[in-house]
Amino acid sequence: MSLEEINLIWLEGQDCAGCTISIKQASNPTLIDILTGAIPGLGGLKLAFHPTLMFEWGEDAAKVLIDAMEGKYDPFVLILEGAIPDEGKAGEGVFCGIADYEGKLLKLSDVIDGLAKRCAAAVAIGTCASYGGIPHGNPNPTGAKGLLDYLGRDWTGGLGLPVICVPGCPPRPDNMVQVLGQAVLAARGLAPLPELDEWHRPVALFGSTMHELCPICGFYAEGTDAHGFGETGCLGALGCKGIISHCNNTTWVDGYGGCTGTGVPCFGCTEPEFPDPPTSPFFAKAPAMPFIIENITGMLAHAEMGFERFKPIIESLLPQIPEFIEVLDKQMEEEKDKGRKI
Amino acid sequence: MVGEREITIEPITRIEGHLGVHAKLDTDARKISDAYAYSPMFRGFEIILVGREPSEAVMITQRSCGVCPVPHALSSVIACDQAYGVTPPPMGVTLRDFVHGAEQLYDSEIGVINLEGPDYSEVAIKKFNTGWWEEAQNKKAERSGVHGFATIADIMTALNPLAGELYLRSLLVQKTAHNMATIFGAKHPHVHSFVPGGIAKINLSVSDIESYLTLLMRNVAFAKELVAASDDLLDFVLAQGYEDVGAREKNLYSVGAYDDPEAYSANYGEMTDWARKRMVSPGVILNGELVTTDLIEQNVGVREFIGRGWYSDQWQQEVETDPAGNKVALEHPWNKRTLPKPGEYAKWDSKYTWVTSPRWWNWKGDGKNHVVELGPLARMWVTAKAGIVPASTGNSLKFELPAALIPGFKCADKMDFEWKIPAKPNAIERVRARAYYNAYSACCMLEKVMKALDLMKAGKTKVWTRYEKPEEGIGVGMVEAMRGSCQHWCVMKKGVIYNYQYQAPTTWNASGRDPDENPGPYEEALINSPITETGDAAGWKGIDIVRTIRSFDPCLGCAVSVHIGKKIVKHELLPFATPL
Ligand code: SF4
Ligand code: SF4
Ligand code: SF4
Repeated sequence: MSLEEINLIWLEGQDCAGCTISIKQASNPTLIDILTGAIPGLGGLKLAFHPTLMFEWGEDAAKVLIDAMEGKYDPFVLILEGAIPDEGKAGEGVFCGIADYEGKLLKLSDVIDGLAKRCAAAVAIGTCASYGGIPHGNPNPTGAKGLLDYLGRDWTGGLGLPVICVPGCPPRPDNMVQVLGQAVLAARGLAPLPELDEWHRPVALFGSTMHELCPICGFYAEGTDAHGFGETGCLGALGCKGIISHCNNTTWVDGYGGCTGTGVPCFGCTEPEFPDPPTSPFFAKAPAMPFIIENITGMLAHAEMGFERFKPIIESLLPQIPEFIEVLDKQMEEEKDKGRKI
Repeated sequence: MVGEREITIEPITRIEGHLGVHAKLDTDARKISDAYAYSPMFRGFEIILVGREPSEAVMITQRSCGVCPVPHALSSVIACDQAYGVTPPPMGVTLRDFVHGAEQLYDSEIGVINLEGPDYSEVAIKKFNTGWWEEAQNKKAERSGVHGFATIADIMTALNPLAGELYLRSLLVQKTAHNMATIFGAKHPHVHSFVPGGIAKINLSVSDIESYLTLLMRNVAFAKELVAASDDLLDFVLAQGYEDVGAREKNLYSVGAYDDPEAYSANYGEMTDWARKRMVSPGVILNGELVTTDLIEQNVGVREFIGRGWYSDQWQQEVETDPAGNKVALEHPWNKRTLPKPGEYAKWDSKYTWVTSPRWWNWKGDGKNHVVELGPLARMWVTAKAGIVPASTGNSLKFELPAALIPGFKCADKMDFEWKIPAKPNAIERVRARAYYNAYSACCMLEKVMKALDLMKAGKTKVWTRYEKPEEGIGVGMVEAMRGSCQHWCVMKKGVIYNYQYQAPTTWNASGRDPDENPGPYEEALINSPITETGDAAGWKGIDIVRTIRSFDPCLGCAVSVHIGKKIVKHELLPFATPL
């Protein structure tokens, strides 16, 4: 497959366009850099379909989807924003139509079925598209699910890659451009493939929890808890779920914002269960177990860290210890002698 | 029939959400004879909310629209303030408004330049209004001293998607407005810091406010170019016979925005007073006359009919009166329930959309339900007419933006603005009002920055009020989003949500026929609208239709569709066998 020109087909399902609004804020690189081909290695990308940004509308837009299903946009990357409803639950109605072509309504699920057969790769952008997100919140009125579930964990695209998930509601701006960028660089043999975890998230970005990366974790370490909003301290008592959330929102973009650093408890918006437990109730404390485990392992680890730190001193002292004890003994004997003398 | 054609446009792109329009065109008279706006997406937020903490609605309802999440957060948190009975400290109110104002800046930049702009770009004009191009090339731009473009054609070229100068610069400037929002919102879209009783922001310092102000000045500088270029371009398009495109009667509705931090309270009974102190005024205009500026009267007058929506209307009257003792209708959102009942696609004489039909009931006046338009045009109009804020003259809004010499921006001088009430609401005036609202919001935020520094000086740095959550409560939050009023209603029982209803601005504007068969605002604006598109009628793409729809800047959390057919087409659901 020649990969000099790659089309991007960005579908919006049960979404809010928030992921699109977020990617427009990306800085490294910016969306403009990508679409104007300013970055070496990332040139030749064309946004063939994107409901919020494209010039065409109506049938001209719908035609792109029809043509893509017929192979006229090969090679292309399928990008999904938003969840996929279970149209079986809509009876004779529809939960998510995305286009009308010659009087026929194209449902999201039908278009995904068509495109998944020939796309080079599929990327789920945001928690909705990855795992169902907000629309799949209890009681999941429309039977919504994410692309990972919809296509299955064993599905692979033309390049042999499974569904790649970039969760977050929305994801951090740079996370999106960088994952898409790495996928393209990898496809062109310029970078390694991203390593994915069990939830198909790139480990490089989602391998740590927010708690591990938290800008105010020092307060946690010293045991300073906030008990009201606006109070400086670890936000655990206010409902922070950083300890169970895989996220790198230390700052949102360009060094501004970031959840816990601003004083906002993490709500776990990157997690497959969001917005249901254990990420909610948002203002209820996170499950205790992770904290207990962390505290116990933390104490042991701190002891070990302390030992590591003082090891050189202890070791340098060791050879002198027998001598030291001898001196002590001698002194004690002398004292005893003194005493006897008195 | 000769001279008639049907058209369905879905997706209507360059809007937020899934929206379609089905229209009948009279090709001889070059007019739209009938139109239906519809949304084919449903997620069921209000169902997901039942049984949760009301404060969770602040986070969840934002997810209905990533383009304008903050007004949802703000309306929702105001409804919670009322339900919990907790008034935030002045600094809490100010910081919430900082986030809100920042979003209005980015949203109007994107709206005018990146979403609506391409419809007036060189690419579009050469394709759809071929006659205009030559004239545009010869027409000098009056305000080129501010925006730097010599002719109207130069402005059109600058709007070309992904290539034009304004198009690309707007994408860069809007980033700074998002940054402003994240300083106090933690992230954007979907800010996580709004909590009942105030805002979750730690270590608030003058540096935070300085950062905000620095970024704000970039938007101040851009607002001058945005307004000047829009004025030149839109005056030109109006002169091409665009007066009646997207025109409708002067029935307008605003709930106001940007609170007075010392006046705002969680007491529903005081809402009339504190809402009148907003920098953008609440009010309703019917047939050109301002009938009220009382937000309590406006709330009581809201009625949400199922209309042609795929829902059932079998619900009970559970709330009899508002906290001030006014009787509340069965269709008021404190009583209304969300009971989905999916139906067949494209049944124009029956149910055809996921959007309900909210109407404003003039209960103190003529007792009728009115189809009202929401958006920047409506709120600028109401604010200009109400004469409450200093900028309001009774028929215009006058304000100024200070000098700012910033590399990369073309106008360093101070600039005076006057937005005048236009002859009628139409597609062009909606876009113009959006550009001016950008400048007015920048002006309001500058004033708020000074207010915030005053509060800092006075040591009033508290951002949150501690409260004891009651078991029962009721609340309403109303605030202007970019595209119109955002309104949330919460009924809390046993400490959790018993019923939660909310209306995005687009719920009103995109609504379908109501029980009296009155079309919604989009439909009204389309019906009888002239067609300027050049070329053979069979090949029309509906540029005038999409310009009209985009002038409202829809955000449906789901796209509406308009289909252009060569003949009357039968719609059927497609169990789409992939054409491989
Ligand atoms: S993941 Fe969040 S931001 Fe993205 S579409 Fe879903 S609700 Fe919107
Ligand atoms: S609990 Fe939250 S605030 Fe506290 S250290 Fe962990 S992530 Fe940071
Ligand atoms: S810190 Fe938590 S709430 Fe914030 S973006 Fe990350 S997962 Fe979402």
